[in-house]
Amino acid sequence: MTLDVGGVARGLLTWDKQEHLVKLAILILAAVLSFATRLFSVLRFESVIHEFDPYFNYRTTRFLAEQGFYKFHNWFDDRAWYPLGRIIGGTIYPGLMLTSAALYRLMWLLNVTIDIRNVCVFLAPFFSSLTTLVTYALTKEIHSTGAGLVAAALISIVPGYISRSVAGSYDNEGIAIFCMLFTYYLWIKAVKTGTIFWSAMSALAYFYMVSSWGGYVFLINLIPLHVLALMITGRFSHRIYIAYSTLYCVGTILSMQISFVGFQPIQSSEHMLALGTFGLCQIHAFVDYLRSRIPKDHFDLLFKTLVSSVLTVVFVVGTLLTLTGKVSPWTGRFYSLLDPSYAKNHIPIIASVSEHQPTSWSSFYFDLQILVFLFPAGLYFCFSKLTDSNIFIILYGVTSIYFAGVMVRLMLVLAPVMCVLSGIAISHLLAKYIKSVDAGSSSKQGVESKRQHKKLEQQTGGVKSEVAIGFVGVITLMLIVYTLHCTWVTSEAYSSPSIVLSARSHDGGRIIFDDFREAYYWLQMNTPEDARIMSWWDYGYQITAMANRTILVDNNTWNNTHISRVGQAMASSEEKAYEIMRELDVDYVLVIFGGLTGYSSDDINKFLWMVRIGGSTDRGAHIREKDYYAANGEFRVDKEGSPTLLNCLMYKMCYYRFGQMYTEGGKAQGYDRVRAAEIGNKDFELDVMEEAYTTEHWLVRIYKVKDLPNRGV
Amino acid sequence: EIVNTNVERTLDLTSQLVKTTTKISAEDSAGKPIVEYVFFTSEPSLAYIDVKDASDKSVPFKRNEPVKGEQSFTFTFPRAAAKQTFIVETVASKGIRPHPEEIRQNDKQFVKYTGNLHLYSKYRTNSQKTNVKLSSSNILSHTQVKPFSVSSNKITLGPYENVEAFSQEPLVIHYENSAPFVTVNTLERTLEISHWGNIAVQESIQMTHTGAKLKGSFSRYDFQKEGRSGLAALKSYKTYLPASASGVYYRDTNGNISTSNMNAVRDFIELELRPRFPLFGGWKTQYTLGYNVPSYEYMFNDGNKYQLKMHLIDHIYDNMAIDEATIKIILPEGSSDIRLSTPYSISRLPNELVHTYLDTIGRPVVSFSKSNLVESHISDFTLHYSFSKTSMLQEPLLVSGFIYIIFLFTIVFLRLDFSITSHAHKE
Repeated sequence: MTLDVGGVARGLLTWDKQEHLVKLAILILAAVLSFATRLFSVLRFESVIHEFDPYFNYRTTRFLAEQGFYKFHNWFDDRAWYPLGRIIGGTIYPGLMLTSAALYRLMWLLNVTIDIRNVCVFLAPFFSSLTTLVTYALTKEIHSTGAGLVAAALISIVPGYISRSVAGSYDNEGIAIFCMLFTYYLWIKAVKTGTIFWSAMSALAYFYMVSSWGGYVFLINLIPLHVLALMITGRFSHRIYIAYSTLYCVGTILSMQISFVGFQPIQSSEHMLALGTFGLCQIHAFVDYLRSRIPKDHFDLLFKTLVSSVLTVVFVVGTLLTLTGKVSPWTGRFYSLLDPSYAKNHIPIIASVSEHQPTSWSSFYFDLQILVFLFPAGLYFCFSKLTDSNIFIILYGVTSIYFAGVMVRLMLVLAPVMCVLSGIAISHLLAKYIKSVDAGSSSKQGVESKRQHKKLEQQTGGVKSEVAIGFVGVITLMLIVYTLHCTWVTSEAYSSPSIVLSARSHDGGRIIFDDFREAYYWLQMNTPEDARIMSWWDYGYQITAMANRTILVDNNTWNNTHISRVGQAMASSEEKAYEIMRELDVDYVLVIFGGLTGYSSDDINKFLWMVRIGGSTDRGAHIREKDYYAANGEFRVDKEGSPTLLNCLMYKMCYYRFGQMYTEGGKAQGYDRVRAAEIGNKDFELDVMEEAYTTEHWLVRIYKVKDLPNRGV
Repeated sequence: EIVNTNVERTLDLTSQLVKTTTKISAEDSAGKPIVEYVFFTSEPSLAYIDVKDASDKSVPFKRNEPVKGEQSFTFTFPRAAAKQTFIVETVASKGIRPHPEEIRQNDKQFVKYTGNLHLYSKYRTNSQKTNVKLSSSNILSHTQVKPFSVSSNKITLGPYENVEAFSQEPLVIHYENSAPFVTVNTLERTLEISHWGNIAVQESIQMTHTGAKLKGSFSRYDFQKEGRSGLAALKSYKTYLPASASGVYYRDTNGNISTSNMNAVRDFIELELRPRFPLFGGWKTQYTLGYNVPSYEYMFNDGNKYQLKMHLIDHIYDNMAIDEATIKIILPEGSSDIRLSTPYSISRLPNELVHTYLDTIGRPVVSFSKSNLVESHISDFTLHYSFSKTSMLQEPLLVSGFIYIIFLFTIVFLRLDFSITSHAHKE
């Protein structure tokens, strides 16, 4: 008998260890896959920073790594926004730079002599691996281990998250999604345990989140929403009270240490829900306390009196704060979230950013695929077994899907919760149906007794093994298709550096268009170090980071008037533009022109935004959008185009000497391959500037602004 | 008294360098054996000099202290004789200046060479002749002292009889020279030696087009359309690497430069490099070129004594000129007794230590620099050092120890209970 017990014990241990090993293997595989699938661009091109904003982040990280935190914090950048300059140290979220600089220092301490650029390029894939692990932890807390593993596998390759975390996309979102999910995980732990330890850990994770991304506002509204929902459903308890009070107090104090955040948590409207909920927690707890101490009759009377008094005081104080301007109004971006048409009507600078546009329906399928269909199933399973944790994930899902519909960029916030809920759905269904498969198998092993057979059938809910096998097959097929779709999307849509372009030649080889770096390097090497470059704000960060030259406007877009002035220069005639450029002290002008290569994100295609933004301030009153349209209301660059357009500075800079070029077989000279038209004004000369440099494929054109003529010439 | 009985000079002005080959026959009028010969050079930017006798053997020489700004060398002949015939080869890097200094994009580059019509010598010359080879037949002007003759791109000056010692008469040639006048302003060459079988070579180069500066605008249309636009611009050039080179990379501070081609020839690797942008007059660029070569081709050992023999500088482009070169040799950790010998004089820089992967005390670095180099300076240096074979085990032991500590920590952490209080209710 003793021997039998020992044998059983050994079997149990073996089983536990096997399960542990399988879990560990799945998690490691998911983390490695998460890292590897984001390296397409590194394999195809090289380890390079992508897009526009990441170049600013890279430049600031390099500055931090070289100069230290004190100089970084006090950094006034005179190379940006000439002649205004820009305070950088106190106007950015430093979490991303500090993380990279810390990793860089750590590796050099271990004599791993890595370049700071490579740290920046691979930071986002590295944090996506961490996100995979934290997604497992979060989903495990909410539902089960199986759901956690499925969610981890799903999020490792979901395109909605990959889009902002490929190698080289060095932006705040790279680490912020990890911070957000980590905060959620710790918050769930705090809610479940009601201990100060987990609440404080949650506050620390929140602090890291605040230091990383402006999207933390979503987080500090979702958690109080969760607390409110728990109150409404009658689930408020001491655990919730301790968790939220600790998180709010410690988290808010910590978040105010970030210079860019400052006093916003207690002044801006976006943080009022959190403060209000905190107050409500105190009131709720106090009321509960009173109710437990005072007889019912006395309590009712006291309650009515208190409610009346408090409401009166709140109303008066609220009015006073609003009138004195102490409480700031909503920001333009916030209005865009509530009213998708607000930005287009009021602020052109916001509407001109493509990632701030409402989301199209195809984007959901493109970025999420089967998660779109599994999401409601996951919601259903959460509703069917409601717990404090489930309520949180329900709220997270519902609010995320609304915001993702309003602004396409917030697909990034939706993707993780889609994976969590889909993980719950798949795990739940597979756990249910896989038993029938097993039952079917064991059934074939000769269970003869009718009673036994009936019992098994009852246990599996009456599902036949054939149906179960079919269902499991369909789920597996869906997951395989999901994997193929995610890999394809990552490869084709999200792995282009955009700083290096490529195309297919006739023999199938890959042609590299490296014109951007060619131009920026020419600026760095062959212009005076104090030269000032005028360009549209898209290229500002790249010019400062790669060319190390002073720019007038960049992607920070904090000064609409200054951007408008640049737009006015681009949209005006040569004489008027010269006045503006002299006023702004411009030495060189840089434009992007895709007419030869077919690059469609060039400045001619952005030109109408320059017109709208240029005309949106009082000094640009002479810029009217309709002047740049042809007689039939179209925007055309051919002979039918508007004379104002065909003689403005932007047109002349893009098309200078292009009229003599043969770009496509069978087409006339000066055929623009993006606009698919022969340009209207071909043979013109420049009066106030001269061509300084044009890249090999004419993508970037740089012009030197001439000095005033000598007297008497 | 020594007399130059016959002097034949050949001036090669086809590139940016002034390459002079001077064949001198000297004789002592009193019949005494000639042991030493003092040679003056009038080239202000002399980079390289070499002397060989009639049977093509090297003649040792030493550089004399300049007197009144005049540089001279003393040749010592191994075998004294009353008649000596020898050949002096010199290369000067800045003897040819663009004239005019600025040209427009579609203009031709004209240059002016200013030298001495005669051999500037301490001794009288009985007869001398100079042959000048130019890069084109488009000669705007040149010094005309009879007798002289001009044929296509060649000018023959002389023979001139009975030229007195220290004769100076200006020789000025103004002609078209479309060669890109590219100068390497700084070269930093790093050799990282590994006893695991690899030597990593990296060169950081900053170069400038020192020809006629570009005046006015640069038109990509003209550059691409007209064949004669930007004749003197540097569009691409060939760099030669060792035949065993692998893992070649070509990049600058903005990343990889995507415009290069690589061909493997029998004795070397030909790398066709295109700069990030074409170099017009006055423009400059900077890049890093690196590759790996196996150790066995350059490193020899006898027990713990090692010898490294490699090129001090290597080929960058044809007719290259380097203003300042710094060479760093990174030896394995634990190397000692380092001795360096070079084929010509260099300036030694202080030794230092660098730390990289799996290092503890750091690797010794031998550094030296030299100014004004040309292609003729490509030759081997020899570096001797001591290195114990047991030092090679340090790196694998370091890795093994680290992994061992991790596993040990994991075992201890998982198997022991560090709780302050035990949860009795769970037991």
